[in-house]
Amino acid sequence: MGRGQGVGAFFSALVAFAVGVTVMLSLLLGDNPALFGDRPGSDELARRIALPGDVLLRLIVIFLALSIVIGIANLLFVHVSRLTSGKFYSAVLLASFGFTIYWYVTRRGDTSLLEAVQLPIESALAALLFVSLVHGSSRVMGKRNDIWGLLFVAVVVVVLLASLPLAELAPVKAWSDWLMRIPVSAGVRAMLLGIALGMVVTGVRAVLGQDRSYRG
Amino acid sequence: MDDTTLQVYSVLFVLATVVLVYTARYFGARRARRRAQRQIAGFDALPGWAEGAIESSRPLHLAFGSAGVGEDNTAVALAEAEFFHHVIQRVGAGDVSPIISTSAAATVPLGQDTLRRGWQRGGALTRTQWYPQGRRSIGYAAAVSGVIESERPSAHIFAGSFGSELALMIDSAARRGQGSLAVSDQLQGQAVAYAMADQALIGEELFAAASYAAEDGRAPADAMVMDVWRALLIMGMTVVLLLEVAKQMPWLSWPAVAVASLVLLGLGLLVYRRR
Repeated sequence: MGRGQGVGAFFSALVAFAVGVTVMLSLLLGDNPALFGDRPGSDELARRIALPGDVLLRLIVIFLALSIVIGIANLLFVHVSRLTSGKFYSAVLLASFGFTIYWYVTRRGDTSLLEAVQLPIESALAALLFVSLVHGSSRVMGKRNDIWGLLFVAVVVVVLLASLPLAELAPVKAWSDWLMRIPVSAGVRAMLLGIALGMVVTGVRAVLGQDRSYRG
Repeated sequence: MDDTTLQVYSVLFVLATVVLVYTARYFGARRARRRAQRQIAGFDALPGWAEGAIESSRPLHLAFGSAGVGEDNTAVALAEAEFFHHVIQRVGAGDVSPIISTSAAATVPLGQDTLRRGWQRGGALTRTQWYPQGRRSIGYAAAVSGVIESERPSAHIFAGSFGSELALMIDSAARRGQGSLAVSDQLQGQAVAYAMADQALIGEELFAAASYAAEDGRAPADAMVMDVWRALLIMGMTVVLLLEVAKQMPWLSWPAVAVASLVLLGLGLLVYRRR
């Protein structure tokens, strides 16, 4: 790493640390006067602690609104650069982009193009997604040839059978309800707890400058 | 639980995590701790894919999905950026830059920066690709399927935030014989990943991925922090469960609960060491 990059990395880490700690303390300690006891001025203190966090979070909202411009610029840049290597679909994408803008501006906000083209195509893809899911499910046992794969398929079969509107399958439906209510719910909670723990650890690492994501 | 108690617990939890992160870093530096890291099968294929990408001069495809900076899954985006950084370093000797894709516009700069740091021969601007937009984006899935066809990546790492649209991408990759590792913070995407991907990570393994992909000795220590928290959580839940059971059974006393907890803890440690 060069000297310039080193200074940049240090500066990035410093800014991230300062902003991260400020927001964290604001969220953890702000807006709750009870934390500071019955002392006079505890309301004002709690409000002041919460203020920097609020300001920084509002800045993030503004940045997110602007980020769509970054996305569109990236899309155009990537596909213009691909035109030179003769990528046909990139030409189609750029032409569609230009035509849609032209249509929207000249027709004063008419969204019929969206309804006539975009929605049917997305619906068709959603239908295709169903086929992909069925195809994928059919290959589970080939990929996961163990007890967990078997269990996965068995649960899928039970839940699918239970969704059929047949009176004869009432016991299967009761079994499926139990599966969804107890084991599946427990598994989902366990996964979400794990993800929450991971988020906390990642957040702390980012604030402490352990991550390289923003260090330049 | 009132707000004040909740805030105090939150502060303590964050402080304990800070202490754990530093402690794990300290022990991780001694390398001996690497032995204690549990095995995750999903990462076994990673070195082979990196070598395959280099030998075949084809790119790796790294997908964030809808994990976005500034949104509720910011931590996912940051964790995956770190993971991708290590993966990109592994293919650094190759001829073709990896491709990074995302459907969250705010992740574009993060992706470009990750690629620029790991791959220093340029191309970060055009190899990081955004396709619109948001969670469960069918448009993104369709565009990535196009990338799979046109760029012919050697393998795919779908690590981030995906819904059921992940099926379209994995299916496209599988049809062309391209390997895939997948994990998502959304439950539908996680189910699809488990069922369809060649290798799947589950739950918090999403956040430990960087530790497993790193080639230096220090990074794996970070995964231990999550393991420690998880073990404490399991122990706490077990104790609460036993206490609830104890209320139903008058003969089950405090000492019995303590002994049962110790036995469970011992068994847990044994299983952990063996893995």
